[in-house]
Amino acid sequence: MTTTTAGGGVRARRPRALPLRYVVRKTVTAFGTLVFVVIVNFFLFRVLPGDPAKAFSPRGRNADPNRLAEIRRDLGLGLPWHEQFWAYVKNLASFDLGVSWGQHAPVSRLIGERLWPTVLLSGTALLLAAGIGMWLGARAGWRHGSRLDRVSSSGAVTLYSTPEWLLGLVLLIVLSDLGVIPAAGMQNPLSELPPALDIAWHMVAPVTVLAVVYIAEYSLIMRSSMLDERYADYLTTARAKGLRDDLVMRRHALPNALLPSITLFFLTLGFVVSGAIGVETVFNWPGLGRLTYDALRGPDVPLLQGLFLTFSAGVILMNLVADLLYPLLDPRVRAS
Amino acid sequence: MISPARRLALAVTAALAALVLPAVPALAEDTPSPSAKTTFVLGIKQDIDSLNPYVGVVASAYEAYQLMYDYLTGSSEKDFSPVPGLAESWETSADGKTWTYHIRKGVKWSDGQDLTAKDVVYSFQRAIDGDTENGQYGNYVANITKVSATNDYTVVMETSEPSPSMLRLLVPILPEHTWSKVSGEDVGTFANDNAPVGSGPFKLVEAKKGQSYRFEANKQYWAGAPKIDELIIRVYADDAPLAQALRTGEVHMVNDISASVFESLMNQPNITTSDSKYSGFTELAYNVGAATVDGKAIGNGHPALKDKRVRLAIDHALDRNVLLDKVLRNHGTIASGVIPPIYADWHWNPGSAARAFDVAKANELLDQAGYPKGAGGVRAGPDGKKLEFRLFGRESSETSKKNVEYIRDWLKEIGITVTVSIMSEDQLTAVIGEGEYDMFEWGWVVEPDPDFQLSVFSCGQRSTEDGGEISAGWSDSFYCDESYDALYEKQKTILDPAARTAVIKEAQQHLYDNAVYSVLYYYNNFEAYRSDKFTGFVHQPSNGGSLVFQYGTYTYRNIAPVTNQTAQKRSLGGIALVIGVGAGLIALAGVAVVLFSRRRRVTADERE
Repeated sequence: MTTTTAGGGVRARRPRALPLRYVVRKTVTAFGTLVFVVIVNFFLFRVLPGDPAKAFSPRGRNADPNRLAEIRRDLGLGLPWHEQFWAYVKNLASFDLGVSWGQHAPVSRLIGERLWPTVLLSGTALLLAAGIGMWLGARAGWRHGSRLDRVSSSGAVTLYSTPEWLLGLVLLIVLSDLGVIPAAGMQNPLSELPPALDIAWHMVAPVTVLAVVYIAEYSLIMRSSMLDERYADYLTTARAKGLRDDLVMRRHALPNALLPSITLFFLTLGFVVSGAIGVETVFNWPGLGRLTYDALRGPDVPLLQGLFLTFSAGVILMNLVADLLYPLLDPRVRAS
Repeated sequence: MISPARRLALAVTAALAALVLPAVPALAEDTPSPSAKTTFVLGIKQDIDSLNPYVGVVASAYEAYQLMYDYLTGSSEKDFSPVPGLAESWETSADGKTWTYHIRKGVKWSDGQDLTAKDVVYSFQRAIDGDTENGQYGNYVANITKVSATNDYTVVMETSEPSPSMLRLLVPILPEHTWSKVSGEDVGTFANDNAPVGSGPFKLVEAKKGQSYRFEANKQYWAGAPKIDELIIRVYADDAPLAQALRTGEVHMVNDISASVFESLMNQPNITTSDSKYSGFTELAYNVGAATVDGKAIGNGHPALKDKRVRLAIDHALDRNVLLDKVLRNHGTIASGVIPPIYADWHWNPGSAARAFDVAKANELLDQAGYPKGAGGVRAGPDGKKLEFRLFGRESSETSKKNVEYIRDWLKEIGITVTVSIMSEDQLTAVIGEGEYDMFEWGWVVEPDPDFQLSVFSCGQRSTEDGGEISAGWSDSFYCDESYDALYEKQKTILDPAARTAVIKEAQQHLYDNAVYSVLYYYNNFEAYRSDKFTGFVHQPSNGGSLVFQYGTYTYRNIAPVTNQTAQKRSLGGIALVIGVGAGLIALAGVAVVLFSRRRRVTADERE
């Protein structure tokens, strides 16, 4: 492809390296947020009511009340809060998230096992949704008031306000009754398909539900930013050059209208980790959302702490990445 | 002429198709081929918390341990009476304190080694000595003072007092040669999911936490080879998808589903439902005077509930038939004692002496007890304190929420004001331990040996105070009565079943007469299975008990595929998959072609 000098110029100029001070400032802020989260995290779950010793000891099989007292001691429940907090911070410094009370396994292992199914599910849905949503939104905004615009905007608003678990449940009951999609889960142990294909097959329904909701979000945002750009002067110039309408949109208007969507993309990328508790529960997806749901029983404080730390770290990290990428994408940020 | 770009697109599509297509013929084959394994899939809702028998506590985990390991004795399918397990016979000394178990010969571990008395001694010694291990099985070994093997097939245990529980030692026998490598320190987080060695009717071959567990049949099992080749336990998050999976045939059996989902499965083709009698009951519990084991009063329970006559009056005001009919939709039976009727030997019921639903009687009792009706029809005690009780229901249970509403309305009839709150079971557990309640609705699941259930009402199970902190025992009524404790202690040491039964029935009657609980009903367990695929399901007890989650593995060992099964047509799902894959490929090809052709056009445009 021959390079072109016409148009917005965003892609034409090579961005300079980021100023070190900017990078340091953003990283320090992110780290500070993380520390704040660690502290809140510790106290948040200690106000949940419950008696973990009873919840996680065999009811009926362990008749000795002295054992309950022992279990409470083993869990460190009797200790003063500052000692518990200190132990928590010390362990955290060595990346030890503790041992789950309910599942009797290291929290880091439990989270590790469930991380990739969630990333696979939410990540696929997000990529699909971003692609389709931006495409739809751009076209709807470009041809403001057209049939496509009217249908896609009202559709998007409807879907955006539908609870995803409801959508999932309807899809599940209707389609799996017809035998079109598997009932639930990530893999059917009876399947004769290669595992990768079986997983992909099981992903169809949950990804569709998640993507449909995300698509609505992307298309609405993309549409409005496209509307902002539509009458900009540089587009008149492009048209005056005799470029086809479609080309004006994709090569000139789109790059400038893309920024809000990219912000949204990175924000939601952070939420890929926290997944979608509702969808994972409906479709029986063995991800972090389901793990969180299970951890609420008891409550399983170390597991909940670990999960929320992972979720927060995901969001903070992705925000940091977005902050560092902005100046590269948008010269206005770099200038300020 | 085909442009290079379009050629590339075609090549990519072809490559993708080549990757995907080999999968399709696999679907086209008729399942099951004659050589195919018979696999039975059970769908459950609660994931196995750990496959390590020293730490897991949920019912599904115990189910897995039963499949993987053996026990000294078992419970019969007919009526839960003790039957031989790894111990093919046993005898007791005259004083009832020395037990000799004769271990079955020729039993092998799944790695080929012999299972001997040494493994039995090892398993029990570990349950006695280990911290974590004792936490799990301490209850069974509390009375055992010494365990030894006199030869390779004889185990001798000595106990501090005669213990009827010696034939119900649910301590799994583990292989010493693999478990000796798991230290007491590591055992708390040991997963035991990597092809563990066992001797049970099934062997774990694959574990995917949160998804499925695959077990292979032990065709050399001493009690007979299971008729199926493979058992898969699949985890589902919710009732609706679980029932759906049964309909589509992804699972062959479901257990412990809700009443509404169960009813939706009734009268469906190829599905047989079982409204199985269960070992659980639901009660209305009272705070009869919360205190610690030292007798120090705790909490803020209403003092009027310490008065037996008030509790009896409440009990008379409960119309259990309505609960059975409207809440349980007749999937259960009216209850009285705390040992459910599926344990026919231990179960007690008042027969014709049962307290009737009688509002007039209830009012009369309250009048006599000194709680006359005051302004607004609300009763008050001699001290002027109104009969206003808090009643807690459980958020996770639909039946609980309905029960508490009915109870509130009924008690209003007899001049008692009830404030209903719904909370999580976790919160309720904490609230009960601190004695900060008047009444609540909950239930218990009772083991074949009634000892634990009866212990719940003894003085020693009340909360304890430790350094100013209250920590809960198992008592949730705070009942404490010398004559009851005497009965409880007495049944603990009687070896003769008939003599013990008499005491156990007396203890149940004591609880009933004093209205410690108002036991509302015994509920059923809902099970359903694909009768077009499998046959041979076994009830425990025989008269309509549960099919799975038994005390034993009867169903898993006895089920067999339905014979003369006509060759299965490819499922609709399979067809849909083929269509889906095909459509996907076409779409991919389309996208590729459009992209590449547009790209050509664009470059052409821009050159102009």
